[in-house]
Amino acid sequence: MAVGINLTSLMDVFTILVFFLLVNSASTEVLETPKRITLPDSVVEEKPRETVVIFISPTEVTVQGELVVQVADIQRTSAQNIASIGDRLAMLSENIIGFNTKMVAESHEVTILADKSVPFSVVKKVMSTCTSQGYGRISLAVLQRAPETSET
Amino acid sequence: MARQRHHYRRRTRGSSELDMTTFLNLMVVLVPFLLITAVFSRITIVELSLPSSNSGSAPTEASFRVEVIVRAGELELTNGTAVIATIPKVDGEYDLDKLSELVMSLKRDHPDTDDASVLLEPDIAYDNLIRVMDVVRSAQLPGADEDTSTRVALFTDIAVGDAP
Repeated sequence: MAVGINLTSLMDVFTILVFFLLVNSASTEVLETPKRITLPDSVVEEKPRETVVIFISPTEVTVQGELVVQVADIQRTSAQNIASIGDRLAMLSENIIGFNTKMVAESHEVTILADKSVPFSVVKKVMSTCTSQGYGRISLAVLQRAPETSET
Repeated sequence: MARQRHHYRRRTRGSSELDMTTFLNLMVVLVPFLLITAVFSRITIVELSLPSSNSGSAPTEASFRVEVIVRAGELELTNGTAVIATIPKVDGEYDLDKLSELVMSLKRDHPDTDDASVLLEPDIAYDNLIRVMDVVRSAQLPGADEDTSTRVALFTDIAVGDAP
């Protein structure tokens, strides 16, 4: 008599897991977690939207996935607006390729993902460049921290 | 009854078991794949209320406005005109608990105000901006036990600027 392993419960678990993971991964694809920078933690609960994304790593700045300027250069200049970032933002709103970019450019919003250690002067220059280019709404991306339960 | 059913299936299929090997293979591949790509650290955003254009716009006078100035060695809490408190660093860290208390007492005195400013010196790390903003934005009220502690909103419209 051939005794097969009863796999029914395993199948149940797998099926539930697969659906859970599929739903989970489908809902959070707005901003992928950056590998190179560590975001600060915060308790805010607002979800990110489709916007222009600016990464500020400790060494360089990328706008919508394209390397634009080095952080050291930003620190060196005394100008409040950084021309290269401004150009890139202006280009984004002019040359629209693809539906995704269109949505992003028309939102006139910027999400800044900056590393924890970036000095404020750099962030501020980037922000003032954004506002001068007409991107009036700026959001800062943070990692969600669970509201701490007081450990007493 | 079960016996009857068994007989029926055996007659038509020849085997009473559904062959799920292929489905199982699919699952075994899909589960690790999705587990790897799953994002468990969720990114959220802090929205800023920025002054309309560049820096240097004069704040409106005579209105009460919470300002937290983050300096290299201390936190300064002002109400727009006068300094309310200076909170020195403790062990190299900003004393955010103290700030939270003071901000909460300010909110109690001015329950209708939602605006606040966080002003930073140029070399302060970005992390401190977020942490101070967190404190100004909301506070954790301890409840009777851990489950009942609630988070209350304080000054939710936060602007960011340079320290004077």
